Amino acid sequence: MTDSIFSQNYFEMFSIDVATEVDLQQLNQKNRELQQQVHPDRFANGTEAEKREAMQKTSLINQAYNTLKNPVSRLQYMLDLNGVDMNAETDTSMDGAFLMEQMELREVIADVRSQDDPLATLERIASELKQKMTALIAEFDGEFKQGAFDQGRNIVRKLQFINKAQHEVNELTEQLEDEIL
Amino acid sequence: MALLQISEPGQSTKPHEHRFAIGIDLGTTNSLVATVRSGKADTLADEQGEHILPSIVQYTEDSIVVGKAAKANQVSDTQNTISSVKRLMGRGIKDLKILGDSLPYEFAETDSAVPRIKTVAGDKSAVEVSADILKVLKARGEQTLGDELEGAVITVPAYFDDAQRQATKDAATLAGINVLRLLNEPTAAAVAYGLDSGSEGIVAVYDLGGGTFDISIMQLRQGVFEVLSTGGDSALGGDDFDHAVAEWILKEAAVDANALTPQVRRLVLREACAAKENLSESAESEISIQLDDNNRWNGILSRDIFNSLIDPLIKKTLMSCKRALRDAEVEKDQVMDVVMVGGSTRTLRVRERVGEFFEATPKVDIDPDRVVAIGAAIQANALAGNDPDGNLLLMDVLPLSLGIETMGGLAEKIIHRNTPIPVSRAQDFTTYKDGQTAMSIHIVQGERELVDDCRSLARFELRGFPPHVAGAARIRVSFQVDADGLLSVSAREETSGVEASVEVKPSYGLQDAEIEAMLKASMEFAGNDKDARSLREQQVEADRVLEAIDSAMADDADEMLNESEKALILKARNELEAMRHQATDAQQLKISMKNLEKVSEEYVARRMNASVLKTMAGHKVEEFNKDE
Repeated sequence: MTDSIFSQNYFEMFSIDVATEVDLQQLNQKNRELQQQVHPDRFANGTEAEKREAMQKTSLINQAYNTLKNPVSRLQYMLDLNGVDMNAETDTSMDGAFLMEQMELREVIADVRSQDDPLATLERIASELKQKMTALIAEFDGEFKQGAFDQGRNIVRKLQFINKAQHEVNELTEQLEDEIL
Repeated sequence: MALLQISEPGQSTKPHEHRFAIGIDLGTTNSLVATVRSGKADTLADEQGEHILPSIVQYTEDSIVVGKAAKANQVSDTQNTISSVKRLMGRGIKDLKILGDSLPYEFAETDSAVPRIKTVAGDKSAVEVSADILKVLKARGEQTLGDELEGAVITVPAYFDDAQRQATKDAATLAGINVLRLLNEPTAAAVAYGLDSGSEGIVAVYDLGGGTFDISIMQLRQGVFEVLSTGGDSALGGDDFDHAVAEWILKEAAVDANALTPQVRRLVLREACAAKENLSESAESEISIQLDDNNRWNGILSRDIFNSLIDPLIKKTLMSCKRALRDAEVEKDQVMDVVMVGGSTRTLRVRERVGEFFEATPKVDIDPDRVVAIGAAIQANALAGNDPDGNLLLMDVLPLSLGIETMGGLAEKIIHRNTPIPVSRAQDFTTYKDGQTAMSIHIVQGERELVDDCRSLARFELRGFPPHVAGAARIRVSFQVDADGLLSVSAREETSGVEASVEVKPSYGLQDAEIEAMLKASMEFAGNDKDARSLREQQVEADRVLEAIDSAMADDADEMLNESEKALILKARNELEAMRHQATDAQQLKISMKNLEKVSEEYVARRMNASVLKTMAGHKVEEFNKDE
């Protein structure tokens, strides 16, 4: 079975349906099963060729696992499977209101140090971002099921923005915590 | 970098009934070796019944002393007795300034990126010193088991970067050890506990050794140990407690540290360490030190004072714990067990603060000094094929993000920290000028945004892809991290399918050629013929320098140099080539190389600037965000 993983898509590798939501527990479980079979530790006494194959297979499984685990990369991959290239330079016009919102958010983040309690502000922003992400994923689900992939792509673009903002918030939180120390 | 594999001479491939494998904990302060016998893992003792081997090596003119005997001579023979060498593993000359004050050695002037300590037995790199420790442990294993070893699992701090891991593997190669796997120390500790308790759930492994601190958040389930995240500090440990106490002593005694001889400084450190250990038993510790001929200092260190001295250090470790929990997306109350590892967790204050932080009683059932070696032995036994159930499987993660240098000295992450390994990732680059057939990529490791704040791992020169018009070539560079956490790189021009050759210049690690030379030297001459060896090393180096300058000049000498500059460099180059074949001692060759280096300094700088532009040209910002 694992011989053919190179020709399977990520969902097939983990025996799950192509869907916006995945059962993380099932994903983890299957990941362990696959790793038990192909991990390099299983071939520590093997030939160089076997070791290399084990490394390549495990790398691929890890790549697939990471892609499916993270919602944004998972959605992007679903579009990918349907021939939608996120990086294609087609019409990239974005929802103006969304962009404005993002820019305002960036300003708040950039200026957070001047707040009375910057960590609390960051925590509030983090939870807002999380909510927004959940809403967008639900929106994506509706569009994807109707085969509206272009709409789906616009939503993934927004999700990428939010993902980035989340990274920034996390990093800033760490910095501020370090400074308090 | 793991591009050039050196195969073990005489490595046995014959099937054994039971394959003997050992686990080695190569520690900053102490090292241990363990194995599984009759289904039970335990550490091995030397002839005197000692399990712990102090990681200290003393070089004399005709012998190498390792362990307790070396430790005894530490004060009397400071310069030739090397301790805490693990701190230098994979470190460069530049790093010495950061570590510098605590190191009482003299470093050799060298052209190599790797610092070498001056001893009466010649200049020693950290890799060579570690190899001497490993040789003793290997011999102990072979003696106890009475058979040849299949191989060993060697532990490293989870926080070790690529260069430090590679250095550890190099040391094993030098010691003639077949490395089955490099294993993170906290993972090893969890393995040791996992088999005993058979528990399932989230576990935090808090490992405070002599010189390093690691925190790992792991999930244990159905025989699978999954590292969710790791964090820590590769330059923080119990040694720092000693230094804090030593500083306190000197302050109390009103003595200027700089006025003391290295011997006395060592003595103060040793007393500080003894006082620290004593405080795990008693409420206060008396200290008495002969600072010089007519000055003896007496004092009392109470637990309260001691706690106030080390609290800032412990706080630092707890900050790392917090971060590791966040990376693992785990809340504090989900942590089922906290495993304590490393001799410094004997310090009561550490247990107290860690217990408070995790709101759990830390686990200390297995000797914190031996737990890592024991776990390594269990893993070694499984990898050697002796694990009958075959259930043990360790899934590990990349400890530090890997990135490449981009425009403006920024580091763009290619593979994020805590990504499960092995992992591969491809990145596409294109050329910025017509007919370009080479480019260089600078790989760094770390979490910071600026390249200067990250660890430089290597520069890769990609050569030999077919010329295209600017922007038309598509060079796919593949980064592969193996199960030991070591990086290798390959490159391919996609439109033509031509494999580009990748030349690696490790920034801090030893060159593969250097290792090969050392290995050869250690086998053929058993360390006798140092002159011939260093000449050979310099010849290898000279070949590399010649090749580098030739290929550089073939590339862009015409556009970057005027005629007189070119002539000057060529003259120095030809002299070096002649010297390469004539020189009978390493020094002559070194002088020629230095000369060439000097006259081509400006040229190298110009090329470096151009290569940064080259690397990034035509590269789209979006490509970096693929995995976000």
